[in-house]
Amino acid sequence: MAGSIFFYVNGKAVTASGQDAFETVANFLRYRLSATGTKLVCEEGDCGACSVLIGRLNAAGGIEYQAVNSCIQFVYQIAGTHIITVEGLRRGKDLHPVQEAMVKCHGAQCGFCTPGFVVTMSGMYETEGEMTEKRVRDALTGNLCRCTGYEPIIKAAMSIDPAAVGTLNDLYPPAEIVKALTDYRSKSIRVESGGRTFFAPTTVDEALRFKAENPSTVIVQGATDLGVMRNKRGYEPPFVMNLSRVAELGELTVRDNDLHVGATVTLSRLEPIMRERVPEFFEILVLFGAPQIKNAGTLAGNVANASPIADTLPFLYVMGARVELTSTAGSRLVDISSFYLGYKKLDLHPDEIITKIIIPLPRSGSDEILKLYKVSKRKNLDISTMTAAFRMQLSGSVMDRVTIALGGVAPTIVRLRKTEEFLTGRQMDRETLRQAGRIARDEISPISDVRGSAEFRSQLTENIFSKFYFETRHQTREEARA
Amino acid sequence: MGVVGKNIPHDSAVGHVTGESIYIDDILPARNELIVDFYWSPVSLGRIRSIDLASATATPGVVGLYTWKDLHANIFGPILIDELLLAEERVTFMGQPIVVIAAESRAAIKAAKQAIKIDIEELKPIFTIDDAIANNQYIGQERVIQRGDLAAGFTEAAHTLEGVWINKGQDHFYLESQAAIAWPGEYDSLTVHSSTQNPSEVQHVIAHLLGLQLNQVVCVTKRMGGAFGGKECQATHPAAMAALVALKTGRPARIVYNKDDDMQVTGKRHPFQNHYKVGFTAEGRITALDVRLYSDGGAYADLSTAVMGRAMTHVDNAYYIPNIRIRGQVCRTNTPPNTAFRGFGGPQGVVTIENMMEEIAQITGRDPVDVRMLNCYGTSERNVTPYGQILENNNLPRLFDELLQRSDYRNRREAVAAFNAESETHLKGISLTAVKFGISFNTKFLNQANALVNIYLDGTIQVSTGATEMGQGVNTKIRQLVADEFGIEPDKVMVMITSTEKNNNTSATAASSAADLNGSAAVDACRKIKARLADCAAAHLPTLDNDTESSPGSIVFEDGWIYDSRRPSLRVTFAALVHEAYLRRISLGERGFYATPGIDYDAATGSGHPFLYFTQGCSASEVLIDRFTGELKVLRSDVLMDIGRPINPGIDRGQMTGAFIQGMGWVTTEDLRYSDTGALLSHSPTTYKIPNIQDVPAIFNVDYLDVDNPINLRGSKATGEPPLLMALSVWTAVKNALSFVSNGEIPKLRLPATHEEIVMRLAEYEVAREAGVPTTSA
Repeated sequence: MAGSIFFYVNGKAVTASGQDAFETVANFLRYRLSATGTKLVCEEGDCGACSVLIGRLNAAGGIEYQAVNSCIQFVYQIAGTHIITVEGLRRGKDLHPVQEAMVKCHGAQCGFCTPGFVVTMSGMYETEGEMTEKRVRDALTGNLCRCTGYEPIIKAAMSIDPAAVGTLNDLYPPAEIVKALTDYRSKSIRVESGGRTFFAPTTVDEALRFKAENPSTVIVQGATDLGVMRNKRGYEPPFVMNLSRVAELGELTVRDNDLHVGATVTLSRLEPIMRERVPEFFEILVLFGAPQIKNAGTLAGNVANASPIADTLPFLYVMGARVELTSTAGSRLVDISSFYLGYKKLDLHPDEIITKIIIPLPRSGSDEILKLYKVSKRKNLDISTMTAAFRMQLSGSVMDRVTIALGGVAPTIVRLRKTEEFLTGRQMDRETLRQAGRIARDEISPISDVRGSAEFRSQLTENIFSKFYFETRHQTREEARA
Repeated sequence: MGVVGKNIPHDSAVGHVTGESIYIDDILPARNELIVDFYWSPVSLGRIRSIDLASATATPGVVGLYTWKDLHANIFGPILIDELLLAEERVTFMGQPIVVIAAESRAAIKAAKQAIKIDIEELKPIFTIDDAIANNQYIGQERVIQRGDLAAGFTEAAHTLEGVWINKGQDHFYLESQAAIAWPGEYDSLTVHSSTQNPSEVQHVIAHLLGLQLNQVVCVTKRMGGAFGGKECQATHPAAMAALVALKTGRPARIVYNKDDDMQVTGKRHPFQNHYKVGFTAEGRITALDVRLYSDGGAYADLSTAVMGRAMTHVDNAYYIPNIRIRGQVCRTNTPPNTAFRGFGGPQGVVTIENMMEEIAQITGRDPVDVRMLNCYGTSERNVTPYGQILENNNLPRLFDELLQRSDYRNRREAVAAFNAESETHLKGISLTAVKFGISFNTKFLNQANALVNIYLDGTIQVSTGATEMGQGVNTKIRQLVADEFGIEPDKVMVMITSTEKNNNTSATAASSAADLNGSAAVDACRKIKARLADCAAAHLPTLDNDTESSPGSIVFEDGWIYDSRRPSLRVTFAALVHEAYLRRISLGERGFYATPGIDYDAATGSGHPFLYFTQGCSASEVLIDRFTGELKVLRSDVLMDIGRPINPGIDRGQMTGAFIQGMGWVTTEDLRYSDTGALLSHSPTTYKIPNIQDVPAIFNVDYLDVDNPINLRGSKATGEPPLLMALSVWTAVKNALSFVSNGEIPKLRLPATHEEIVMRLAEYEVAREAGVPTTSA
């Protein structure tokens, strides 16, 4: 299988070699396999029309399916998986229950977004539990429809009896696919074509050696940023590496109250533990992006992309997260706040890769306050205009150990040192926070862009302190007594 | 039981949910097919000094490069003939096509774009309506609609209010971008598959630009992946470019815009700047209104003058204004030509007066809904529009009354006030608005349609009309109408691909009227065939039983059977009758025709009877605003409309929910942002935010009255555009919310009410409050 990528599409084995291995999955489906049900609209993972289900082998010998945007997935990334497209949901002549409901409830009008909705909805039933309207909305956040106003789609979803849907493992019995893929998944893959090289190592050592030999190598794990850069700017780096086969990089464990998040841990894998341990950050993850994006994108990728509006960063800043960087020479830990040297500039050597992020978790039962904010034009699935993280200790109503990080107001995430200093030791009251907002305004240097004017960002910065006050005042002892 | 009025699924629904429905770029490439793209102007206004194609021509894989010189004609336009397909000496907007590129691959297209060298001297462009006015840059002439005595009306008024009200544009954001495939045929003929609302216009423009006879060009449209007006005129450009390549090279040619290009080069909903002076009594009854509408037409006329016409005939909206002058002028700027968009100027006209209603209420200290009802058109008096059309069957007063009840508006308005008095973090607002939307093209001759009905020997039917399917369900409605005429099941009827080969000289599928016009034409064809079949049945039935007498007038078509009403037990199936008719050499095909009766309008005098009827409605929305972040949540919307008797209630309901959410996007999050040089910055869904599923109001009640519309097809009313205007209640609710903290001032809220707009307005009030600026009142 050297020099090619092997996977399944709708139960059939497919091999992609040469340039096809470097194509996007959507293009490969549409223009190589003539499976044109998968639609292309935005080619940046923001509309969901290209949604497919990606089935990954799990430890139990089954296949777990999740929706992803095929327009920003590369064929080389789906090696050893089973892709289900809209064409693969029918059972013979019979429609899938989701398809049936969408027909009955007028869930389709022009039909162009419909395959994406149908695929994403089908994936929704892979996880058990009661189907509430909230769950439906959350699952379909990444799919845009311009015709229906969504209401008929919500109705369609709510009209389905989840028990009658059946799983995708019923539709495609996994035994044969798993058998064919298990051995394949244990080996490294290397594809070379047209001056480009793809490598999927199976051990950290292999990965580090490849990186050392080819320092320009770009890690393509979720491709939720790199896929967009390819589609919009023609960015096609000569060496790409995917780490999915390196088991240890999938680590997600808590040790000494530190959460260790391996380089390949997707944002959706992070959700359950954050829901339990840091609900405030879980809420940010909910807003972060579409399920399709979170099923592909990783925390390490969000850190590596170094965007000043990366939604996870203010949180990582105030928690004092550390980034583990590894090369053949060994590992080092860098504090997140010193990892960024400037706009999109990292303290990362050419032979290093990010192997994990270590996040100190809030201690339960302490008087610690953690508040996170994401302000955007549209609440869900939108890149932030401004982000903010507040962390502090309250002694009575006196603020201590104040840490504040803001995103979207400077070339990198910034800590508001002056404002922090001002607040430290003061009573939490409205006027103090209002003053803090004004001090903060002077600490930032926002720009005007498509997401908002500089004045607006300054105003938001000032406002967010008042919002913080109103949302946390009940935690002060004075307020509790009142 | 007939099938009209039944909620059957969309005729493409199964194809849509299985991915089998075919759109332009799903058509498998024909052998030898070329890819077409174009090089567009990187500046908003400039003089082309030189075009150097030498190195692009030599690029491997490039097959052809074409400029305006390769066209037979280069100038065209749907109303005013002022538009160039390819720029000549000057470029007048960023995104304007200059060179058409044909190549073997996308890689070759990309290389060719980089190799094309065009030297342009940049000139100072015009981007705003104010700039256009200052420089006398207009499209078409100013139009006026006038009635009554303005001066007397203002004298009568207790208050006079003046203002300028601005709304921004909106991108259509159809999911399928502009696309076309042209296949060359024999003798320079062309078959063009186009994602267009207007196949006839595509045919006409291609023939005109390429120097062909109309009968040499066939335009075919299976369906569109959304259109919303954006493919009424502007699907023509890609189709013409593909046709040019096909004709020049003799090879099939495909053009498919990507989303970013599509948003950057195509026109949008027109931004408007409306200046108004309104006089009203102490109770808020309007005595005089002088309003001047300016729209931003972009670089070419496109449909701008017609859009302005509709804006002008909709400024009155649901309200009777005795003394009124409406002036309208389209401005020329250096942006892509703005074009049709669901509502077609109606929303920009209606929101102008709905905004005024909020302001009048604030000044008079009344509930805005009382001001609206006070001014509402009457059912027997105060029922003449400013252009002289009498408002028949006016259901507006009933809609107000019923929606007040259903939405529990009065109690909720009090609750909103109580909430705002309490909350330091959030604001609520509530508003109830109305809509009266005229149905028919303002241009009289467009109100015609033809249809072709063919019956086959097994009793199945194919219908073809000029209507194009963009998801709105026109084909499903026509299927129901035809099945109903013959008393057969809808699955025996197929509505066929739209093609200028079958239906000639058709009007655009637009103005909400495709089902009215094409459905009526289809019914006309059916009735002609039915008359012949009734004759046949009356002759045939007695041959089955000698004792039977039968006459054509008593023949019934019902549930798949044909019988004489006097002896229902003696019956033949529809298929058997069709076969019998064939044997008797009776024609089983027909062409139907329909021209909307009784309409007439003179734009020069601003008077006449432009609309066959009006679709009406009321909506109430309640919003919640985060005072610090400007986050806006629509908590509840109630929509109640008069849409007559729907041909398909499920489809019409889908139009109502879909249009409402689309309108909500226009007034809230859809924010077109441009650079200083005129580049659109929000040209993909990452930056241009249409509503997503989380934005649908948690409580969203959508319903319609049980009322007839005797003047139209089966008592139905058009529903495509009108419900978009129902979403204006969201915007007025934001305005209402701001009025609680605006220190007594009238909130100057622009449209869209983005989080930025809301935060900046709130900040102004806060600053004014702290500075102790005395509250002002108008």
